[in-house]
Amino acid sequence: MTSQPASGNQARFNARHLLKQTEISLLMVITVLFLIASLGTANFISAYNLTNILKQSAVIGVIAIAQTYVIITGGIDISCGAVAGMSTLMVALSQAVWGLPVWLSLVVALAAGLICGLFNAFVIHEFNVPPMIATLGTQTILRGLIKVFSNGGTVSGINKGFAAFATGSVGFVPNLAVVWLLVAVFGALLLKYSTFGRSILVLGSGREVARLSGISIRRTNYLVYGFAGLLFSIAGILLASRMNCATPTAGMGYEMNAIAASVLGGASLSGGAGSIVGTLLGTLLIILIDNIGIQFGVDPFTMEVVTGLVIVTAVVVDQLKKRAK
Amino acid sequence: MNDDILLRVEGVEKSYPGVRALKGITTFIRKGEVRALIGENGAGKSTLIKCIMGVETLSKGKIEINVDGRWCAPRNAIDAKRLGMYANYQHVNIAKDLSIAENYYLGRWVKNRCGVIDWNLMNRQSQQVIDKFQLHVDAKAKIRDLPVALQAMVTISKISVNEKIRLVVFDEPTALLENDKVEILFRFIRELKQQGIAVIYISHRLEEIIDICDTVTVLKDGAYVETRPVCDVDKEYLISKMVGRPMEDIYRISHYPAGAGLMRAEGISVPNQFENMSFALHAGEILGFFGLVGAGRSEVMRAIFGVTRITKGQVCIKGKPVKIRSPKDAMKRGIGFLTEDRRLDGLALEQTMRINVNMNSYDMISKWGIISLARENQRAEEHRKRIRIVTPSTQQLVSRLSGGNQQKVVIAKLLCRQPDILIFDEPTVGVDVGAKEEIFQIIQNLTRQGKGVILISSYLPEVMGLSDRLVVMAEGRVVDTIGKERLERMTEEDVLRIASMTGQSKLSTGVAS
Repeated sequence: MTSQPASGNQARFNARHLLKQTEISLLMVITVLFLIASLGTANFISAYNLTNILKQSAVIGVIAIAQTYVIITGGIDISCGAVAGMSTLMVALSQAVWGLPVWLSLVVALAAGLICGLFNAFVIHEFNVPPMIATLGTQTILRGLIKVFSNGGTVSGINKGFAAFATGSVGFVPNLAVVWLLVAVFGALLLKYSTFGRSILVLGSGREVARLSGISIRRTNYLVYGFAGLLFSIAGILLASRMNCATPTAGMGYEMNAIAASVLGGASLSGGAGSIVGTLLGTLLIILIDNIGIQFGVDPFTMEVVTGLVIVTAVVVDQLKKRAK
Repeated sequence: MNDDILLRVEGVEKSYPGVRALKGITTFIRKGEVRALIGENGAGKSTLIKCIMGVETLSKGKIEINVDGRWCAPRNAIDAKRLGMYANYQHVNIAKDLSIAENYYLGRWVKNRCGVIDWNLMNRQSQQVIDKFQLHVDAKAKIRDLPVALQAMVTISKISVNEKIRLVVFDEPTALLENDKVEILFRFIRELKQQGIAVIYISHRLEEIIDICDTVTVLKDGAYVETRPVCDVDKEYLISKMVGRPMEDIYRISHYPAGAGLMRAEGISVPNQFENMSFALHAGEILGFFGLVGAGRSEVMRAIFGVTRITKGQVCIKGKPVKIRSPKDAMKRGIGFLTEDRRLDGLALEQTMRINVNMNSYDMISKWGIISLARENQRAEEHRKRIRIVTPSTQQLVSRLSGGNQQKVVIAKLLCRQPDILIFDEPTVGVDVGAKEEIFQIIQNLTRQGKGVILISSYLPEVMGLSDRLVVMAEGRVVDTIGKERLERMTEEDVLRIASMTGQSKLSTGVAS
């Protein structure tokens, strides 16, 4: 008596379905692009190019997964590229300058990422600064610090074994992509099965709801930005291994690609929704577009315009979906 | 068609999912008429105003305004303004970081010959308006720096700055005003009247209505009751029209003898909200809370639940004094709180019913932070059956459920923690009759199990019909606690009279509604 007559039909349009829809359409777009590129160019389908795509995706992909977590809470982390860059530098400095063993250099890098993340949470939560502004500030601070620590130059002399990790592979899958997939599986499970995952969903749906449901907003904020910081530094570590050095510009501009991958994958910029599988596919799509552009010989300046357009379109579609509700 | 008529409201209906807020309202307002609109909370006054102002679209019927002989229907809020319709809403609704003059001329700045905004001119003209309303402030003063009463006056005086006014709506304009300001407002209304402008005036204060209005329309449960000239009516008559109705059967639930004391508030206060509140809740008891808008009922409950901090007095649970610092604390002490506005702070609307039901008790079905999804689903299914939440699946988004089912999801969420003390703040707002009855049944079952229920309601038949004892609040204080026997002998008018007692010692104007 209290249900609406149409509720039977509405059931089919629930949240899961919407996400699945996003993922399916992403898969379709990726397939079409893949076919166009394989038929239209000579080099796209080569083993070299395909592994390259996966390697490129791995770094952005790990960042995008963390970004999705942050976006689900209704926040955003602009500092992600800079945090990754800082971790890259920490790996290089630890190994080449400070002479630390590889495992310790990783600990240093992860610690740096965690500290950056917690700092973001501190500014955002304690002083009620909008996440966009707080993390933009952190980004600038970090870019400055990176130049201070590296004297504005490239730090080389990375451990050879560590650098070899990036060139190795498990079967056809490059090691970097293996790490990416592991992070994705962990991220997806955490989102689905943990109280932390539920807390960020509820927080993203409404601050007051979360507070009155006994969810500590402070704790959740520190956890999510800290966790994101850790994942960003994992991306930075991968980057160090791949580049075999640390440049002051490492990770620059990654934030836009990562945010775009999250939103393409179904994360809502107003919070409360996001999918790890979607983010995975979103990342692939972004990297694929870039790669195909190069294969077809589109000049890089034009490619930037295209990537920008894809990002704007993704965000507009996100808004349209909301309006349709 | 009669040229004298300014506004036609014909057969207006408005439905939200699960509720019919307006059930066919027809009335005509003449030029220069001051029309009062009265009814209890939830009678549909605000909805009707929103429809007239084009903020809400009608489900049925039409609303038209006479624009120099042409009949126009405002399509949206901007359109309404263009047609000369202005509304002064209950909550102060102006740009707080701008000056008075900037607010007066917001969006229609006067430019000088060079096309530059002429602030000198606007400040001068604003000052004239301010002086006319005897506000004694500078036109350049920021709104934020003014006391609330003055802010309210600025929003009222802002209306007079407009050139073409045909209709002005005042929604509880005097709630924040002192007597001298009310006089100024009334003078303004008489001035509007002389210019042939129609006024719709909403107020709980019936004396005011008899003082300033020409005619009065009574609404009840979204339906039109009658319209009469004010000279034909008195306060008693209006009250009886607003509330007078036989107690319905849905309020007839079983009551159980009060058991041991569950919770006691001893002289608790929160500055600017309420003062020196004392009351006790026993096992198996329904303790009702009634008061007019702004009486501070919800504020008391929010403080007990740890949302705001109590500065004086203390709360005892089962005889032991406790300090509740956060909602989480309160939940651990066995308190469940159903808030007034479920859409704002009760539900995560864009999440599934399953998540919403479990939202505040994940710690009970998880280990090391890992949730048992099986238990999560099992609990949702259990409550879906037990309190009959109508949903195609537990994976349905809560935003797609009807009002009654949404409210049951909130109740299920509270029950998951098995609290001893349940606070229900307006549990039947936006809920249809069938679901209302079911919610009352749930309340009955809870008291049978020896739980204590605090029931806040603005709807007198409900709170009088269900409560074992009734606490009546006014202006942040308890004015009376009425026991069952006395309550049974009282009429709704009696209770309303107690609640509208205005004490001498007013709290500061910061009382939120």
